[in-house]
Amino acid sequence: MQLLNSLISHMTPLATQTGPSFWLPAPVSNFADTVDGDFYFVYWVSIFFLVLITALLVIFMMKFKAPEGQKAKSQNDHNIILEIAWTGIPVVLSFMMFWYGYKGYVAMATPPSNAMTITAEASRWFWNFTYPTNGASVPGASEDFNEIRMGLRDGSLTPEQAKERENIVLEKAGLHVPVNTPVRIKVLATDVLHAFYIPDFRVKKDCVPGRIGELWFEATEPGTYDLVCAEYCGQGHSLMHSKVVVHENQESFEKWLAVAASYDETLPFAELGEIVWKRKGCVSCHSLDGGNKVGPTWLGAFGSERQYTENDVAGSTIVDEAYIEESIRYPMKKIAAGYPGQMPVVKLTDKEILWVTEFIKSLGK
Amino acid sequence: MNPNEPNAAGSEAANAEAVTSAPVAVESGPSYLTVTKTISSWAFTLDHKRIGLMYLVGVLGMFLLGGVFALLVRTELFSPIPLITPLFAADPGAQADLYNQWFTTHGAIMVFLVIIPGVPAALGNFVLPLLLGAKDVAFPRLNLGSFYLWICGAAFFVYVLFNGGVDTGWTFYTPYSTDTSTAVIPAVVGVFILGFSSIFTGLNFIVTIHKMRPKGMTWFNMPLFLWGAYSTAVIQVLATPVLGITLLLLILERTLGIGIFDASSGGDPVLYQHFFWFYSHPAVYIMIIPAMGVISEIISVHSHKRIFGYRYIAYSSVAIAIFSFIVWGHHMFTSGQSTTMNIIFSGITFSVGIPSAIKVFNWIATMYKGSLTLNTTMLYGLSFIFLFTIGGLTGLFLGVLSIDTHLHDTYFVVAHFHYVMMGSGLIAFIGGLHHWWPKMTGKMFSEFWGRIACTLVFIGFNLTFIPQFVMGSLGMPRRYYTYQDKFEIYHQLSTIGAYVMALGFFMTAFYLLQSLASGKKAPTNPWGGNSLEWHTPSPPPLENFHGVPSATDPYELDHFDYDPVTGNYSSRTSTGTA
Repeated sequence: MQLLNSLISHMTPLATQTGPSFWLPAPVSNFADTVDGDFYFVYWVSIFFLVLITALLVIFMMKFKAPEGQKAKSQNDHNIILEIAWTGIPVVLSFMMFWYGYKGYVAMATPPSNAMTITAEASRWFWNFTYPTNGASVPGASEDFNEIRMGLRDGSLTPEQAKERENIVLEKAGLHVPVNTPVRIKVLATDVLHAFYIPDFRVKKDCVPGRIGELWFEATEPGTYDLVCAEYCGQGHSLMHSKVVVHENQESFEKWLAVAASYDETLPFAELGEIVWKRKGCVSCHSLDGGNKVGPTWLGAFGSERQYTENDVAGSTIVDEAYIEESIRYPMKKIAAGYPGQMPVVKLTDKEILWVTEFIKSLGK
Repeated sequence: MNPNEPNAAGSEAANAEAVTSAPVAVESGPSYLTVTKTISSWAFTLDHKRIGLMYLVGVLGMFLLGGVFALLVRTELFSPIPLITPLFAADPGAQADLYNQWFTTHGAIMVFLVIIPGVPAALGNFVLPLLLGAKDVAFPRLNLGSFYLWICGAAFFVYVLFNGGVDTGWTFYTPYSTDTSTAVIPAVVGVFILGFSSIFTGLNFIVTIHKMRPKGMTWFNMPLFLWGAYSTAVIQVLATPVLGITLLLLILERTLGIGIFDASSGGDPVLYQHFFWFYSHPAVYIMIIPAMGVISEIISVHSHKRIFGYRYIAYSSVAIAIFSFIVWGHHMFTSGQSTTMNIIFSGITFSVGIPSAIKVFNWIATMYKGSLTLNTTMLYGLSFIFLFTIGGLTGLFLGVLSIDTHLHDTYFVVAHFHYVMMGSGLIAFIGGLHHWWPKMTGKMFSEFWGRIACTLVFIGFNLTFIPQFVMGSLGMPRRYYTYQDKFEIYHQLSTIGAYVMALGFFMTAFYLLQSLASGKKAPTNPWGGNSLEWHTPSPPPLENFHGVPSATDPYELDHFDYDPVTGNYSSRTSTGTA
């Protein structure tokens, strides 16, 4: 086993690499070495057998190819030694694979007791992160990252501008952790299944409604990495991105945390409401331009008449402050006619609700 | 030497006798195709061959439909920018919804309507009684009933296509499936009905194999296809009812809100996954075990050599069938299932790999010192071995707990199961179709176009799915309508591969149809096989055999003389069949 371990470590390009390799993304967490080591062990065993089997197929094809009607050179149909060999060797190899995977997995499933806990809550189709020290609630900002991505692609943003915009967004969004610190993530879902996945860290956990999932990691390299949803969750599944920021040290992380969840309260209420609309994920379902998304548009919504169903009974109301607040606090109570009724409970403060209401008002009657 | 092992030396005496009593193929009288000609003689037929042929037409039609959706998905993914969905929907949200319906439809059709019934119901129905020297299956009426249930299930799918589609993915995971406004219930009812079609076929095959083997055919000189069909039938009968119950619960959850899968009512969405995979993991083996049976026939017959390690192949089919029931939890390694459960399921999962490896090595050993005819059928057989090897080996990555944490729900998984389900299951189905085509239709297809098409399918398949392994392990999640630019090159290669493969399949459809119109007449035994179907005319008469056949040694393949004029392999006069 020892010999094999050292052999594996020679075959894998781990020691020198921080960027992505041909097969695997950047190895930047404490689990990357284990997972990648296991990956390359299985990989080389597989390559060996694939080459062996392919070589035999090709050699036999060339050597024993014969015109129709020619007799086979042998009709031998068994060899007990061979059968034992090709049963025994796979048994041993697959037990080794199981064993490595088991060892690695137990470490991944056991967070150390001193780990800092951050809650990641998944809703259609945005992330929200809650930090323990000050209860700051920070959005995943999927829409912003997707806009930046599209801007880069259609050339309206240069890579530098994109990076700059990303940094501005990340001042108040994203999953932030200090480097070389054990972090435990509690994963929750408010509506359907999602999965919390950071490819560069090799960690993944399903977010299941009604369950509290957990995973942990220690980021080993400061930088910005992708966080994606890996479990199919409908229309916005492929846009449910966010970023992980690994801070260089604890101080930098704490400095960020102190300002992350705050608002610039000198701004007019309607502008603050627009920030809430983006930050809290309203943007994924409510448009501002009259376009139909999963929920009704906010353009001209205030003061208009809204048909709804409540407990399967149809009704109608004027959209006013009370109706907006009720719809935020109890989203499944009155469901606007013609919409599927998929709104999660987004916990807003009283101030945030006030700002959002002012924002909707400002969008005209 | 194991005295029970069928081998050249030990069973020679028995063979001589068996071959002597093998039926004589008399090329006269109408075949099952021409004996009656009315539409009702097909619609109400109890003949397993006609039912098999009708299944075949249905399955191939659904394969075309599922394939069209695959091409739509792959075309859309050629670019991360919406490419063809805007042709069908103006709103960006509706475009994403449409894509989600496409991949769901592709998956559901291919799994439930093509691969599961492909080898067992379409090829199996035609071949199984012939291999047994029987006139029909044990319950011909039930067999016709299975077929109409299949039609009924397929009709529900077609209804869904025109009534809002379904966007849950083929797995119907809760709570999404209880929440989406698409046509989940008709789709689930369709799958429920197809389940019964599958159960009845399985039941029929179990009874047929138990009760209708000819004189002299023991379990251990059955053709290996029958071992595959038998193992599959057992899984169909035992596992499919669980799917049926699960789907009923899903319907009740959607209509009455019983709450069994709903966390807010005290239920658990993961429970659905347990129920679903308790069927659907064995279902993977419903797709692959009969395919392995086909390959055992193809490799042996076209190598003109006894199958190597008969008993090991037979037992490994049974072993896979048994293990398949206790590995379902490996689909839920990241679901929050307990660590202990994950470790147990991971351990058991590796046990499935062993019998698969045994089969591959035995097929290769069969080729050693054989006389390999590299015709279209054999090329499909060889493709299968290569593709199945990749499918099996990449399964190892997913069984290793630490690696699966990274690879779960990425394109690596997508590529892996396509290698197993399509590269293995479907390629074996197409290979088997070529193997038995002359027997079914009485016509030979064009070997020239056949080999070209097979090569295109092989190259296209690998080009489609190898890039998916790479992007998957780099972190590309599955079921994504749009993706990060860094994955674009892999998606583009994959899409090109899909088109190459489609070209191969269209070519196949073309030359097979052409063979019906103007193909050379097929001889009784075009490949030199010795199982019973090669001892009756191509196509067989309605009652399958003239006279009552008794068992042959299916892998006694060296006593034939090839006639280059007729293309027929006939038993040597010395064996006394003249």
